[in-house]
Amino acid sequence: MESYRSEEEQVEALKRWWKENGRSTLIGIALALGLGFGWQAWQKTQQLAAENASNLYQQMLQVLSTQDEQAGTVGRQLATQLKEQHRGTVYAQFAAMHLARLAVNDGQLQAAEQELRWTLSMASGNDDIQQVAQLRLARVLASLEKPDEALDLLQGANPDYQASYAIARGDIFLSQGLEAEAFAAYESALATMEEGAPVPQTLQDKLEFLGARLQSAVLEAS
Amino acid sequence: MLQDIRANAQGTVAKVIIGLIVISFSIFGIESLLFSGGSNGVAEVNGEEISPFALQQELSVQQRRLLSILGEDADPALLDQAQMSQQALETLIQREIIKQAAKDMGLNTSDQAIADIVGSMEQFQIDGQFSPDLFQGALASAGFTPALFRERLAEDVEIGQLRAGVAGSDFSTEAELDLAASIALEGRDVRYISLPLLDFIASVELSDEAVETFYQQNPERFQSEESVILEYLELGIDAYRKDVDEERLREEFELVRDEFELSAEARVSHILIEGSDADRAERIAAAQKALSEGMSFADAAAEFSDDIGSAQDGGDLGYTAGDTFPEAMEEAIAALGVGEQSAAVETEAGTHLLLVTDRREGSSVSFEDVAAELEDRIQSRDAAADLLVDVERLRDIAFNAADLNAPAEALELEVQTSEPVSRNQQEGLFARPALRQAAFSEDVFEAGHNSEVIELNPEQFVLLRVAERRPAALKPLEDVRAAIEVELREQLAKEAAAAQAMELMAALSQGSTVEEAANAAGLQWQVELGARRNSRSLPGVVRERLFAMPAPEDGSPTREIVDEDPDATYLVELARVSSGNPADMPVQERELLRQRIAGETGGILQQQFETGLRERAEVIVY
Repeated sequence: MESYRSEEEQVEALKRWWKENGRSTLIGIALALGLGFGWQAWQKTQQLAAENASNLYQQMLQVLSTQDEQAGTVGRQLATQLKEQHRGTVYAQFAAMHLARLAVNDGQLQAAEQELRWTLSMASGNDDIQQVAQLRLARVLASLEKPDEALDLLQGANPDYQASYAIARGDIFLSQGLEAEAFAAYESALATMEEGAPVPQTLQDKLEFLGARLQSAVLEAS
Repeated sequence: MLQDIRANAQGTVAKVIIGLIVISFSIFGIESLLFSGGSNGVAEVNGEEISPFALQQELSVQQRRLLSILGEDADPALLDQAQMSQQALETLIQREIIKQAAKDMGLNTSDQAIADIVGSMEQFQIDGQFSPDLFQGALASAGFTPALFRERLAEDVEIGQLRAGVAGSDFSTEAELDLAASIALEGRDVRYISLPLLDFIASVELSDEAVETFYQQNPERFQSEESVILEYLELGIDAYRKDVDEERLREEFELVRDEFELSAEARVSHILIEGSDADRAERIAAAQKALSEGMSFADAAAEFSDDIGSAQDGGDLGYTAGDTFPEAMEEAIAALGVGEQSAAVETEAGTHLLLVTDRREGSSVSFEDVAAELEDRIQSRDAAADLLVDVERLRDIAFNAADLNAPAEALELEVQTSEPVSRNQQEGLFARPALRQAAFSEDVFEAGHNSEVIELNPEQFVLLRVAERRPAALKPLEDVRAAIEVELREQLAKEAAAAQAMELMAALSQGSTVEEAANAAGLQWQVELGARRNSRSLPGVVRERLFAMPAPEDGSPTREIVDEDPDATYLVELARVSSGNPADMPVQERELLRQRIAGETGGILQQQFETGLRERAEVIVY
């Protein structure tokens, strides 16, 4: 630092400096403060929005878990509200999947298809939800008599979800009467399931059923 | 130099810099500058620590659960600390992973939602009302702080939301239902003959020679386990209990009297008015007027009170035993009956209007009432101290002693001798893992030294050494003859049953019916027409084989011998398979099936989701 000979000179130097840089310094400070407070405010609104979505979702689950006659209607309203007002959130995607579930239960497969396609379009950032929604979409398409489209989608399993995808493939083959293919698919599902994990009763039954059928077929052939 | 710093600190530039520091602190807080200390967790999941405290909590939850299943006198080996703590840690890690996944998905809970849940939990309610005291007390006894409890609760909610989103949104399509229904409704006409083992055992002839041959040919099956005879000293707290004289009991009574007595308490609500004298007087008057015109005290508190903490709770301040609030307030409270309001009371905080909402009677206790409990307390306390002194002495002596005699003498204990103890001992004192491990440790088992003084629990200590080693050896024939005989008899009986089943099979293929063949042989037979996959009336092994059998061709039945059940052999005849028609399933049953399929498909999805998370997680166990 330069050294100044007297107080006056020092003050003079400061004044000069302030004249040259004062404005930009003030603007800089104002900008920094603005950014800081702005960031906080933005975070606060984000958090509030997220909490709102959480509350709505919790309400929806609560309503849907009751046996009330109005449960379906109110639950659907809440789910739709979630989808519209909290579009980008995972809550919205969960809500859409619940809407799909309700639609399937009511036999409205097209509506279910739409919900699941919506979920897929929103879930690009999340592999797990993408996998789950894609699987369910395939199952709905199979039910809509579009087995080829469904089987196409079922090619898209990532390593985590092989078992569920294989079961869905097996179901399609079985309803087409392709018993050997179905049996192979179910067996591969069993093989990819985690060791020690409980095997679903329906899967066991299908394997038993097809095992006996295929044995008959072999006997017949010989 | 200091002079320079001082001079410069007065300068404008320095002030600007300090100003900036002040601003940054005020925005970001001082926490951002304080870093936390070194790691002391038991494990780390993706960089998040699991604290020893959390592990302890989880462990005690699991132990309580296990005890409630097994009953109080559960086998201590089942409560093996090391193993349970392993399980508890595994649970915590899995929970942490899912919690993080939920957070990553942006799942969250508002403080209000958590407050609502806490408020609605029955275990924190008195007469249907949330009680903050009960809440705090219950948490404290479980080792939680309210903040920690709320955090755990929030995690639970978020994990629940995640599971409801992934697994709970699954369904079953009509096509899938039809498949499952037609499989469930498949019917099989079955007849089977039972050949119980017991019928054949009686007629089995077993020679001594056969028993001896079996013994000689299978020596590896008749080895005794390696075992040790142990010498040991046991220190238990009960030996240290001494009588307590009454004088001491009375002293103790005076000290802890408060614990047993409840002081009389009053529950108080208030309306607090702050501000300048004139302002207060005016607003107090307004509040009093509103009250006198019939406004409820709770509404008035909400409207007038400046005490933000209580205003929304009807002004409720909780209970006081006469020493909680400033003197002026307590005096006014003392003069009020339940439901009565006071005139304005002045304290440093401002002006109060008071309402007593409840009074609880105090209770007192006499020395005689609690003498036994106090005696027990003092005895335990003294005995624990004396025990620890002796344990320390024992540690010193035992370390230098060649055997247990010197330590026993010094502490006036008796050396005890155990029955043979094996490496996986299941009964008695030495089933305790800590003792087994010590007995078979290198130092004790191989080198023959005294063990350390082992703490089984804070009231029980054991010191041991190996007196005798008994290696594994072939057990004498006489010890195992009975077991061999049972086994061989069963084996021969099974063979005889199989032989008879073959004969029956031959008769059936020559055209006799199951009924004729069974009756001719004097055996039981059963029939079930249209048996379903979930039939409960068929023996398990028969049901399993029946549904694996190929369907009969050209009306000729399929027959098989089923010998998987150790207690009986069966001859099974499948006459007809009728395929299931989904339309035959009753509506209610179909609804249950729908729920089951949705539950199962959602369940494996969730499981695969969690397995995938676990595989990708970075888990470090310290």
